[in-house]
Amino acid sequence: MAEAAERIDDPRFVLQTRDLTRQFDGFFALRKVNFRLARDSVHAVIGPNGAGKTTLFNLLTKHLAPSEGAILHDGEDVTRLKMPAMAKRGVVRSFQISAVFAGLTVQENVEVALLRGSGLAWNLLGRISKQSGVAERAAALLRRFGLAEHAETMAGNLSYGRKRVLELATTLALEPKVLLLDEPMAGLGREDIGRVTALIQQARRGRTVLLVEHNMNVVAELADRITVMVRGEIAAEGSYAEVAANPAVITAYTGRAHG
Amino acid sequence: MTTIFGVPSAVLFGQLLLGLVNGAFYAMLSLGLAVIFGMMNIVNFAHGAQYMMGAMLAWLLLNFLGVGYWWALILAPMAVGLGGVVLERFLLRRLYGLDHLYGMLLTFGLALMVQGALGNWFGSSGQPYAIPAELTGGRNLGFMFLPNYRAWVLVASLVVCLGTWYVIERTRLGAYLRAATENPVLVQAFGIRVPRMIMLTYGAGVALAALAGALAAPVYQVSPSMGADLLIVVFAVVVIGGMGSIMGSIVTGFLVGLIEGVTKAYYPELSGTVVFVVMAVVLMLRPAGLFGAKLDGAGGHQEATEAPRSSSPRAHIVLALAAIMAVAPLVVYPGFMMKAMIFALFACAFNLIAGYGRLVSFGHAMFLGSAGYVCGHAAKVWALTPELAILTGTATAALLGLVSGWLAIRRSGIYFAMVTLAFAQMIYFVALQAPFTGGENGLQGVPRGMLFGLIDLSKPVNLYVFVTVIFLAGFVLIMRLVDSPFGQVLRAISNHEARAQSLGFETDRYKCLAFTLSAALAGLAGSTKAIVTQIATLTDAHWSMSGEVLLMTFLGGVGTPLGPVIGAFVVVAMQNYLAGVGQWVAVIHGLIFAVCVLAFRRGIVGEVSAWWHHRGSRGSGAVPSTGQAVPGK
Repeated sequence: MAEAAERIDDPRFVLQTRDLTRQFDGFFALRKVNFRLARDSVHAVIGPNGAGKTTLFNLLTKHLAPSEGAILHDGEDVTRLKMPAMAKRGVVRSFQISAVFAGLTVQENVEVALLRGSGLAWNLLGRISKQSGVAERAAALLRRFGLAEHAETMAGNLSYGRKRVLELATTLALEPKVLLLDEPMAGLGREDIGRVTALIQQARRGRTVLLVEHNMNVVAELADRITVMVRGEIAAEGSYAEVAANPAVITAYTGRAHG
Repeated sequence: MTTIFGVPSAVLFGQLLLGLVNGAFYAMLSLGLAVIFGMMNIVNFAHGAQYMMGAMLAWLLLNFLGVGYWWALILAPMAVGLGGVVLERFLLRRLYGLDHLYGMLLTFGLALMVQGALGNWFGSSGQPYAIPAELTGGRNLGFMFLPNYRAWVLVASLVVCLGTWYVIERTRLGAYLRAATENPVLVQAFGIRVPRMIMLTYGAGVALAALAGALAAPVYQVSPSMGADLLIVVFAVVVIGGMGSIMGSIVTGFLVGLIEGVTKAYYPELSGTVVFVVMAVVLMLRPAGLFGAKLDGAGGHQEATEAPRSSSPRAHIVLALAAIMAVAPLVVYPGFMMKAMIFALFACAFNLIAGYGRLVSFGHAMFLGSAGYVCGHAAKVWALTPELAILTGTATAALLGLVSGWLAIRRSGIYFAMVTLAFAQMIYFVALQAPFTGGENGLQGVPRGMLFGLIDLSKPVNLYVFVTVIFLAGFVLIMRLVDSPFGQVLRAISNHEARAQSLGFETDRYKCLAFTLSAALAGLAGSTKAIVTQIATLTDAHWSMSGEVLLMTFLGGVGTPLGPVIGAFVVVAMQNYLAGVGQWVAVIHGLIFAVCVLAFRRGIVGEVSAWWHHRGSRGSGAVPSTGQAVPGK
């Protein structure tokens, strides 16, 4: 027990889970998983369909509540916190299906995130343009992400790739310490994958990034460390080379067209 | 004579039996709602009207064709069910894939039309329907007297409910139905004709309502309005039980009936409202309902492309409105203008929450009505000056909005609509029974008084200017709210709530504040109305008023700044100039609802501005940046 407690308080890890379990009507989507996310790393979770990676992601992002076990952030138990509270702690997630505010302009999308950060969101009667640089900061972010010319476009009318970029820009507007990305490349063409990969490379400086991803080229390029999940448990963990050579992983993927 | 906790046992058992009989009807109706909702994701607001049609048809068959009870029990559900099939095939089917609210609005409009038309032909007074000869009389059970007909209703409804449960949960047909609910495309691929199955399911759900109506004919009075109030209670039952489970609907229906029965025996004053109190408690402790598995769309989102925030200054709109209001009394009767402005403010307040927050309340009349009563009471009995009386009324509505909003925002979409409707009905019952409201007569003789102790509001010019200032101030305030950082966050939340949460917004707080503000502004309209008309009445608290404000806002254009104003003026003008047609106004309202939902979902302002953009972009060759307003997914 003493040994376990020591591990839990290890400051090298931003997020840790302790025997994290989630059941759906008796089916164990996740069974006693002890997962650790090292500070300032890019960590990918992979595995065949139904392996529990999305469940793990949803538990970490508070989209689901665990059946048993605990989640720790910076050594503190955050198992019972809700999604907004995690965001305020600097842990921000993205969504698998790109999540933009479709009825707001691109500029307004980023402003919303900046409003939360600046505490202006409860201003009932003011105008945004007159406030402490929110509009200017939003414009600067859009320039950095190559969205400046679309600032006045309704976000819902953007192409799918641009929606992904906008989502990333909105997330980074909060300057999160931990970035949780749910299949960031899903549904993207090759060109967009290159762009988004470069943006993540850029965003990782001074941050911890966790991503669930199917595209192995992207995983190989981005991730320092990889966790392979099979049937609700961690099957292997290590660098890309270590994991690729692991017999358990090869067995799990046999016959599947991943790669 | 034996008594139980001070109530004679015969009385208690009598009330329990009555409660069970009521519960039988709640169960049958909420069962039909659950089946229809499970299959089509439509909340059938016409369910009450279809129940009423079953009873009316039974009565008509007996009185005009001499067809007796037993045949009516078969023919009435078949006829109404067939009507349901036609309705699904030609109207409801057009709404699949849109926001669930449109199905609700369409069926609400159809219900208004049917109830209004039948009310015109047969009057609103109830008609008795004789108990069939085979079931007259009753038997003495020793501890109570059991009328045979009531025993029959209980047995029949239990058989129907359990039979429906068996078909859905235990047979092959039911398995197909449940599978089609989960994944219609897959089931279609198995070679089952899903659209036809949906059509027949709707017909069966409707027939179930009509059967309940025919069964109810000898118990209650047969009248065109018998279904409307019942439906609101059934909605509360649905929220209490959770719509996910068939057995849950049945059990909750009987349970609520029993609770009402017990309340009637021990504390009759509360019997009308107890179901809504139970609903509030369930919302607090178990928001998904007693048998509900999961919360509706708590993390879900809808892709919504709405009209863009207008970058042009709003000042010219306000100036134009002010100019129109200043000139109008020269042309139009000032009384009409004041009434229209008050309703316009009411509709703008509603638009704040429905248009920008995407929380469509079906109970906004509670704020208009309660503020009117409190303001009237403050001016008349406490002799407050008009501005203080209005402030008191507005504050009351705000408080009511805070409490009801705090509970209602635990559910979203259609459930939110049902919860607000149920709360409003509770307030209506309070207004009906409270000692200071004057019951059916209303609170009369509210003095207009001296504004700030200086300006005599009984002078027509002063009153007109006063109402104009309040309307314009309210309009400007709402525009400021919409354009503020808070308004921007509110629109973001209504677009994609889960995303807003992931950015760190505690979305419930924002929604609750927006709801409270909307309630307060509706209260401002209600208070002003009480001062202007010098009376506060039950009409302003009735559910039909909640429907009217929905109509005004949707007709004018929901989510546009001027839409509710234009909608309010059109509806009030219609009421004024079509006053001669009496009850037909309800039918016309219903018709407008149906036409708006089916053909003009953007409302007057939305359609005109879309046409304008389209025209402009074609003329200049520019790319339209706003796109089409596509509600729902």
